[in-house]
Amino acid sequence: MTIRDRYPDANVLAQRGHWDEATRHVVLDRVHNVPDFRFFDSHERATLEALCALVIPQDHRQTDRRVPLAPWIDARCTGGHSDGFRLDTMPSNPDAWRLGLQGLDQTSQHLFASDFVSLEPDRQRRVLESVRQGNPYGSAWQEMPAKRWWIFVALRQITAVYYAHPFAWDEIGFGGPAYPRGYFALNHGYPEPWEARER
Amino acid sequence: MGGARAVKLHVHLSSDWVLDTEMREYRPNEEVDFCIIGSGAGGGVLAQRLARFGFSVVVLEAGPWHDTETDMVSDEAGSARLYWNDERFTGGTDPLEFGANNSGRGVGGSTIHYAGFCPRLHPSDFRVRSLDGVGADWPMSYEDLEPYYAAMEREYPVSGPRQYPWGKPHGYPYAPLQAGTAGQMLIEGCAKLGIPVVAGGPVAIPAGRKGKRPHCIMRGFCLLGCKVGAKSSTMVSHIPRAIADGAEMRAECMATEILIDSNDRVTGVRYVHDSRLEVQRANAVIVAGYAIESPRLLLNSKSNAFPDGLANTSGLVGKFLMAQAGPVVWGRFPNMIRQYKAPPACALTEEFYETDPRNDFVRGYALQTVAPLPIAMAHLLIEENGEYGESLLERMQDYNHYAAIGVLGEILPDARNFVSLHPTEKDRFGMPLAYSHFNLFENDRRMMHAGIARARAVLEAAGATETHSVNRYAHLVGTCRMGFSERDSVVDQWCRTWDVANLFVCDGSVLPTQGSANPAITISALAARTADWLHHNARHALTRDERRPVPAHR
Repeated sequence: MTIRDRYPDANVLAQRGHWDEATRHVVLDRVHNVPDFRFFDSHERATLEALCALVIPQDHRQTDRRVPLAPWIDARCTGGHSDGFRLDTMPSNPDAWRLGLQGLDQTSQHLFASDFVSLEPDRQRRVLESVRQGNPYGSAWQEMPAKRWWIFVALRQITAVYYAHPFAWDEIGFGGPAYPRGYFALNHGYPEPWEARER
Repeated sequence: MGGARAVKLHVHLSSDWVLDTEMREYRPNEEVDFCIIGSGAGGGVLAQRLARFGFSVVVLEAGPWHDTETDMVSDEAGSARLYWNDERFTGGTDPLEFGANNSGRGVGGSTIHYAGFCPRLHPSDFRVRSLDGVGADWPMSYEDLEPYYAAMEREYPVSGPRQYPWGKPHGYPYAPLQAGTAGQMLIEGCAKLGIPVVAGGPVAIPAGRKGKRPHCIMRGFCLLGCKVGAKSSTMVSHIPRAIADGAEMRAECMATEILIDSNDRVTGVRYVHDSRLEVQRANAVIVAGYAIESPRLLLNSKSNAFPDGLANTSGLVGKFLMAQAGPVVWGRFPNMIRQYKAPPACALTEEFYETDPRNDFVRGYALQTVAPLPIAMAHLLIEENGEYGESLLERMQDYNHYAAIGVLGEILPDARNFVSLHPTEKDRFGMPLAYSHFNLFENDRRMMHAGIARARAVLEAAGATETHSVNRYAHLVGTCRMGFSERDSVVDQWCRTWDVANLFVCDGSVLPTQGSANPAITISALAARTADWLHHNARHALTRDERRPVPAHR
């Protein structure tokens, strides 16, 4: 299965001259200044990158159109970033990431006698499927609920990084920042002259 | 104010408005008439009213000013500083999420990033116990609050229909706001099913210019702060006038304890600014920190007289935490929607708001437009079934084909839902973290089930080829409830604590029940009513020395 490009003409970044300065700064900083890894060790980093590649596959994209994901997860952990709440059955966000990546290895070892990162993608997906189902093998998953980790740590944070990027906006036909210009074509889902049409 | 100190303010409040003024500045050891904690829907209105009545007022706001030009961005991921992101523990069978979902931090509080829906409560909301045998009655009637609703609708101001078809008849001062295509789906679905629906409000975005606030540019980023200044927040609607009338808005000051003297009278507020501990002395204190921080501050203010927390002889501080059920139901449409355009709050129906004997539950729900931006949409898709990979990317490519409805349902108050202090975890100020406990009960679940089914039917009638839903919760109220006596509540109908004569709580936490109406306008109306009462009774209320009787068993 491959992803069909439904908005081939989309280029939200090309509109940056129409954005206000504060927004332009925030979005371009995200595009151009990808942080270095500081939190995860090299094995954790490789595991995280393998996970990100399965959650948001980008093989179909040109290499210069791929969105870096793992570095931003590392940055969230480094900065002790909080979304304002912690479930009482979960460790803190950085600890939950470390524990979850260990858990992927434990489940992989149990099912296939190998670390997660060394598995073929099909086997990696089988590991993720058992996490998604909520009852994977491994001591890490005794310390926190696997389903919760899967949706609220892994999927939420990886998708939050991806769909914050203008390349992802192009993929789904989102118009992007619209201040101070605003929108005029409000009915029938019409595009503005500068917005991409769906093909 | 000869010799008074002043500080220079320079902050953009809208595209066309720089608040460039001198603001009165009090020394912490100067006793002011009122110290208000929080500047949202409650605190912002109180500051404006009390300053206008001639009282000296200091507002302690935990967060910063959000300059519309330099601090607010047209970007979903770049707006985290608008939220209360300090960690809170959350548990129970149905744990609540905080942060971006419902908690603001900064001048204007949560009104900075609310969608702006401003429906009133219905008259029945004030008599839920009498009418349905559940929940609680309010120690006031709809008619007591009615003139304050009307005042707030002029002052925010609110756009909406001239004749509102639910609750007690009333109309809105500004014309209905234009709806986008996503809103049209709710309108179309309801119309086809014969369900009354209103378009273009009630929403706190004036359809027209309001002073230095331009009208809306339809960019759809209401939940991330309004750079235009069109959407009402207390930062643009009330706080500038409060400052002009001499109130001080002291930003980035985190209140950690309310202090009392040996006569059990409040004397001031301890707070942290720039890592420094200060105490602002005040003749009276009004807590307006919303339903998590207000009880947390009271519970953390322990003394010999109040070992379980200030104003807590009833044991009810923190109890009866309520959020509204807010399941998001979305449909896929063959035609293009582009839901990101136009304000998310633009149409609703309250046709299912009241108790209906044909239902297997009491009270009800509203259906309102919502319009998730890309990250929020992705979070809905993954939460439905843990989807990832190519199928997630493909479903997200349908982003422009989705239209969504938020079910806003009345969850009933229950003492098993509460906020407490975490036994061990502390924040950077050394204050115990808040710990919320939230559980759905049978009536809540039945109501949500019915609301989701109704929303699906509406989307299908509008032409959706498939529908999906994910549970969410919205708004936070109830943790310092208002009532009839010191045994059944924390505050009286004037938001004064039963225990301490010169201590008030005036925010969402005083609501005994919540209806299916977004709470901001109700909180502001309560604040305006309390301010009026203080205007006429402050001398008596604030100088009285005797303490109210305390139940003997305490």
